[in-house]
Amino acid sequence: MSAIDRLAEDFARLPGIGRKTAIRLVFHLMKRPKEEALRLSGSIREVADTIRPCERCGNFAESDLCEICSNPGRDTSLLCVVEEAYDVGAIERTGQFRGVFHVLGGRLSPLDGVGPEELSIPRLLDRVGSDAISEVIVATNASVEGEATAVYLENTIRPLGVKVTRLARGIPVGSDLEYVDGTTIAEALAGRREM
Amino acid sequence: MRLSGLQLRHFRNLGDQELRIPAEGVAVIGRNAQGKSNLLEAIYYLETFRSFRRVPDEQLIAFGEDSFRLVACLVGCSGDVSGGQGDEIEVAAAYQRAGKRKKVSVEGVEPERLGDAVGRLSAVIFSPLDVGVVSDGPGLRRRFVDIVLSLNVPGYLDALQRFRHTLAQRNASLRKESPPDVVRAWDGVLVESGSRVMLERLSWAERWAEAFTRYYQTVSGEEAAHLSYDPAFAIDRADLGRVEELYRQALDESARREARVHATVVGPHRDDLRISLAEEDEHRDLREFGSGGQRRTAALALRLVEAATIRAARGFEPLLLLDDTFAELDEGRSERVLALIEQEEPGQVILTAPKESDVKVRRDALPRWTIDAGCIQA
Repeated sequence: MSAIDRLAEDFARLPGIGRKTAIRLVFHLMKRPKEEALRLSGSIREVADTIRPCERCGNFAESDLCEICSNPGRDTSLLCVVEEAYDVGAIERTGQFRGVFHVLGGRLSPLDGVGPEELSIPRLLDRVGSDAISEVIVATNASVEGEATAVYLENTIRPLGVKVTRLARGIPVGSDLEYVDGTTIAEALAGRREM
Repeated sequence: MRLSGLQLRHFRNLGDQELRIPAEGVAVIGRNAQGKSNLLEAIYYLETFRSFRRVPDEQLIAFGEDSFRLVACLVGCSGDVSGGQGDEIEVAAAYQRAGKRKKVSVEGVEPERLGDAVGRLSAVIFSPLDVGVVSDGPGLRRRFVDIVLSLNVPGYLDALQRFRHTLAQRNASLRKESPPDVVRAWDGVLVESGSRVMLERLSWAERWAEAFTRYYQTVSGEEAAHLSYDPAFAIDRADLGRVEELYRQALDESARREARVHATVVGPHRDDLRISLAEEDEHRDLREFGSGGQRRTAALALRLVEAATIRAARGFEPLLLLDDTFAELDEGRSERVLALIEQEEPGQVILTAPKESDVKVRRDALPRWTIDAGCIQA
C-alpha cells in the first residue's frame, strides 16, 4: 500500500469523512507547502502526547487537572454533569457557568451494554459525598438515553442530601414556533413560567 | 384529495406507463395475476413509502431491473373537501437495489425526514389481506391502529417511536438483570410516551365505536359487532395524568414478573383492539368465534372507520382503493357494502375485479380499464 493510500485510509476512519473526502484531503495536503502538512502532523502529535482526561472531572486536560478544576476562581460547590468532554466546551462557550464539571463518558444504554458501572458514576458519587457540593446540575442530552441517565442520577444523588436540578428544555432562541416539533413545544408548555 | 396522474416505472410487472386518472375514479378489470393488486400497491406506496403487503422494497423492483420509480399527481390536499380545485402537488418515490437507496420527494424537494412526506397521498386500501387484522394476533391490530393514528393524530408517531425506543432499552436492561434502580430509570419516558399512545388509542376506539357498529350492521344486514380498546390495565378516566398514574402503578405491580421474564409486561405493546359480537349481553370475540364472512365484514368496517378518521382529522375525502373486495362476500353483503360506499364515501374510488360483472360502484358509472400482463388500457 502506498503512503497516499495509507493516509487516505486513516482519514476515512475519522467520523464524517468518507473515502472520496479522504482522498481529497490527501491531495490538498500534497498541493500545499510542505510546512503546512508538518504543522498538522505536529498538532496531532501534540494532542496525542499531552491531552488526557482530568483526574477529577474527566474533561480534556494537559496536566493532571484540567484548566477548570485547577482554576481557583471556580465555584466548586456547583457541579454540572455532562455526557461527554465536548459538552463542557458547549457550556463554557456561554460564559454563564462559574461552577465545575463532571464528565460521565457516555449515557445509560443497555442496548449498547452501557450501565452505571461503564460510566464514571461511582467517581461522581465519591465527589458528591466528599466535596462540599450544594447543587448538582444534570446536563445530559434531551434524548431518551440522556433522560434515563438524568433520572438515575437524580434518584442516586438526592438521598445524599444534595440538591439536583436538570437543564430546562424548550424553544430554541431565534426559531419560529411553527417549525418546532410537537414534543419540544409540549415540554416548553409544561415548563412555562410566569412573566 | 384525489389522484389525477400516476407514473409507473419498473414497479413489479407494471412496466413503464403514465396514467391520467378520472376524477370519479376507475374500475380496473383483469384476470388473476395480471397486476391489479400491484397497481393499488404502487398507489398506496406513495402514502407510506412501504408496501401494504409488507414486502421489502427490493422485491417491488421489476425482474431484471435495478430500481423502480413512482410519481403521483395529487389534487386537493389542503383540506378542500370538494377534492376538485386545489393546486396540484407531485409526490415521487424511487428505490434502487444497489446501495438500497430510497428517495422520496414532494414537489421535487427531498424532505428532511421521510415522515414529512408520509400521508400527502391519503388513501384507504381494502384488501383481502385485511381479514388477518381481525383473525390473527393482536400485533396486526396494534399495527392497524398505529398506522391510522400516526397519519391522522399530530404527535402520535413521535410518542410511539419514543415509546418503542425506551421499551427496547428497558427490556435490554431487564435482560441483563440490572438492579431495579437502573431499570426504573427508563420508567419516566416509558410512562410519558406510553400513556400518550394508550390514551390516543382509547380515545380513537371510543370515538368510532358507534360508527363501527353501524358499518358492521349495515353490511351484515343483521347482527351487530363492537369495537373497543383493551388495555393491559383498566383505564377509568380518559385523562393523560390519570393514565400516567395508572401505568406507573401497573409497572410497580408487575416488577416481580418483569424480573422473572426479563421483559416489560405492561404497556401499549401488550394491548389489543377487541372486536366482538354482542350476543345475549355477552361480548364474544370475533377472533375466536367469528365465521369467515363475519371477520371479513369486521375488516371492512375497520377500513370504513379509517376513512371516517381521515375525513374528520384532515377535512377531505380519502381515496378508496378496493382490491377485489367483493370476491369473498356473499351477494347480499357485497351489495350492502356498495350501497354504503355510495352513501358515505363521495371521494375517488379505484377498484379492481376479475370480472366486469363484479363492478357496480357509482351506479356502474366508473370508467372501465383493463389490465393484461401489467399493461393498463383505458
